[in-house]
Amino acid sequence: MNYDLIIIGGGAAGVAALKSAYDPNLKILLVERENRLGGILKQCIHNGFGVHHYKEELTGPEYAVRGIDAIKTLDVDILTDTTVIDVEKTNGTFTVRMSNTTDGDHLRTSKAVILSSGCYERTRGAIQLPGDRPSGIMPAGSAQRYLNMEGYLVGKKIFILGSGDIGLIMARRMTLEGAKVLGVAEIMPYSNGLTRNIVQCLHDFDIPLYLSHTISDIRGKSRLEGITISEVDETFQTIEGTEKHFDVDTLLLSVGLIPDINMFESLSFETSRKTNGAIVDQTYQTSVEGLFACGNALHVHDLVDFVTEESEKAGKSAKAFIMENHKKNKKLIDIEASDNIGYVLPQKLDMDQPFDEVELSFRATMKGDKGVFVIHQGDQEILTKKARFVMPAEMEKISLKKDLIDTTEPITIRFEVTQ
Amino acid sequence: MTYDYIIIGAGVVGTAIARELMKYQVNALMVEKENDVCNHASLANSAIVHSGHDPKPGTLKAKLNVEGNNLYEKLENTLDLPLLKNGALMVAFSEEDNKTLKTYYNQAIENGVEGVALLNKEDALKREPNLNPKVTMVLDLPTTKVTYPWEVTLAFAENAIDNGLELKKSTEVKNIEKIDGLFIVTTTKGESFKTHSIINAAGAFTGKIAAMIEKNTPYTIKPRRGEYFVIDRHVKGFINHTLYPTPTALGKGVLIVPQVHGETLIGPNSVFQDDPENIDNTKSGLSYVRKESTKLCDSIPFNKVIRTFTGVRASSTYDDFYIKESDEVKGFIHVAGIDSPGLSAAPAIAEYVVNTIINAEQSFTKKTDFIEKRHGLKLFHQMTDEDKKEAFRVEPRHGNLICKCEKITEADIVHAVNSSVPGDTVKGIKKRSRAGAGLCQGGYCEHNVIHLIARELKKDVTKVEYYDKESYILQSETKVKK
Repeated sequence: MNYDLIIIGGGAAGVAALKSAYDPNLKILLVERENRLGGILKQCIHNGFGVHHYKEELTGPEYAVRGIDAIKTLDVDILTDTTVIDVEKTNGTFTVRMSNTTDGDHLRTSKAVILSSGCYERTRGAIQLPGDRPSGIMPAGSAQRYLNMEGYLVGKKIFILGSGDIGLIMARRMTLEGAKVLGVAEIMPYSNGLTRNIVQCLHDFDIPLYLSHTISDIRGKSRLEGITISEVDETFQTIEGTEKHFDVDTLLLSVGLIPDINMFESLSFETSRKTNGAIVDQTYQTSVEGLFACGNALHVHDLVDFVTEESEKAGKSAKAFIMENHKKNKKLIDIEASDNIGYVLPQKLDMDQPFDEVELSFRATMKGDKGVFVIHQGDQEILTKKARFVMPAEMEKISLKKDLIDTTEPITIRFEVTQ
Repeated sequence: MTYDYIIIGAGVVGTAIARELMKYQVNALMVEKENDVCNHASLANSAIVHSGHDPKPGTLKAKLNVEGNNLYEKLENTLDLPLLKNGALMVAFSEEDNKTLKTYYNQAIENGVEGVALLNKEDALKREPNLNPKVTMVLDLPTTKVTYPWEVTLAFAENAIDNGLELKKSTEVKNIEKIDGLFIVTTTKGESFKTHSIINAAGAFTGKIAAMIEKNTPYTIKPRRGEYFVIDRHVKGFINHTLYPTPTALGKGVLIVPQVHGETLIGPNSVFQDDPENIDNTKSGLSYVRKESTKLCDSIPFNKVIRTFTGVRASSTYDDFYIKESDEVKGFIHVAGIDSPGLSAAPAIAEYVVNTIINAEQSFTKKTDFIEKRHGLKLFHQMTDEDKKEAFRVEPRHGNLICKCEKITEADIVHAVNSSVPGDTVKGIKKRSRAGAGLCQGGYCEHNVIHLIARELKKDVTKVEYYDKESYILQSETKVKK
């Protein structure tokens, strides 16, 4: 065995997981595909990071450096410029296939693996936008990389589809760089970004936000020449006669992020159709024993602070898994999202694990000013919590005490709007 | 210099003819108006090598389809072509469909298709468990294959070039004249070339090219669009055969086609349009394809779509392939109306043009040094562990993974840029190496691909194109360099 633990991905999640998994008696390898640690934070040069975790406002690169500083003196192996290609598991041993220019395509084995490989951006193809397919249409994060990491502007007249945070941040960033952002269209009747980003990135720069609108046509032979947006009805179908045209050379897409767990050709584990990530228990262990997942590779977070918090827990669990002789019999209870809840994490509770309480993270599927979250087990209501200003863009958390859980029936959570 | 032949159009048909022609001692030039080979109908289609069950017996389509299907088996090894020998099922859902299926069964046998059989519902579901359970009968067409049309076209082009063909990309024919028995072909860039003969393989533009030299062309091109969904390769095995619905008066219908690299294509619809180059996707087209396809299989994972595209078939008013020397102008050869089964028939079309229409054997000497074999790009991830070690030792750049979805290395991309038909655009690299063809559609690797193209071709990164001419991705630098 080469290692006790291999961590895949050295962004905020991998770095936090490494910190908490560290033990002088463990051999740990962290693999990062880029030339330095930090992940997507490196290109997020705006501020607003760290308010929860460090109690101060940092830029993305500053936040990344805080985490990296905390691990740089640890006696672990860190491989940058190295990409994981595949992971296999046989007889309790993980074999991780990776590639770099020093050792080529090679294998490393370990007892446990943490998947902290982040997420990728949903593309035009995945949402099936109609129209021509010229250049000048790209995910907002790609444009952010070109601008902040490489120093290239991708266009001068911009339209943005989707009001996710990256789209909003890029609306401001492109404006500051001299481009004209003509508008942001959002198919939902509300924005999918944090409120502070709507205010600071759109309102402050007089960039219009078209709610309940989507792209209905794209024109351009070689480079994008213009787009048309249309209003949508409750079933998200475009309404004829509501078209607005914009002459733009660039369309940025901020239409969702998807956990990037596709390096696995050989190993399969249970995934959730709701998060597109792994299904985990409260220790962040997947359906494959010894395989843990955290950060945006598990589900997409609003704030990096929560990524750090979650990944520290995952790292701690992985360490416990390696150091303790782990029992193989689990007592799993399902945790399910019910009315008005998009998804809940963890999706399983292992009652055989020692714990006093478990933190449930979840998102509502609707906007509600006032309401109540209700947690059920079978017919039994076991916990309620009043909530204000609930929206899908902001993750909610509730702690659930172990002694409230009496049976092995699934636990469900729902949201009720109150007047 | 005077060419023996100018071939207009570097699609699968033009390049296949060129390769066949280069077996003889001829001077040949191929002109292509686009900046790469295989940019239109040859690229965007269902990728099927049909068995030959569909064309009416006695037609050129029937003959060349069945011959072409056989030739693919030979070319698989010679030209290093990917072939998925998965067979096809034509599916019936009613008594009426059953009757139609039986006529196709007889027609397939008459056309010389081997191995055809009619299977009952039970056997059909055993073969393809996710087939819509309303199936009543299927026609088994085991010689049906799937290929990678891009690789086929590139293979023909590269092998023809290895054997002396001259290829000029970004070269659009503007005018053709015939003076003193010689054709003068002038281009929009102002160049002009002399040739004894012309082979018109310009796809949807064959009519436009013919009109430059003929008064009355016996066919009119009617471009016919087809839209498709591409489903991620990670969802493999939900359908394993190519599935055709039973054809109706409206046409061949919407198919489900597993691809050689693991994706599944869902499509196409069939709509006539005037513009041969309009390849936009429409909401109505895609929703029609979606609705129709669920008749074949009601569990298609549309949540795993990674891309949509449109292809335009070069259909014509003539009820068959139109492959003939012009009645008006000697030495001007039409290869027109090549819609389905054009890809399947392409190798046979090439032999038919060179052996029967031109009768090259009579006019030219056969080359004794014809290079038969063509080697495709050997991608690192396709190698054995042993070969990988050696390839990495020679080129450590194989250790740098650029496209993580399709596992394409820096060396793979460098080879694609520097091949005999160079890939010099982002999509050109995608066609050759599949970098950017996966789940994230280039979101992760595009910036690296741009830098590699710029480095290899000594270009500024802002001058690297996405695909078409001037389809730049980066517009300007934001920082002033000292």
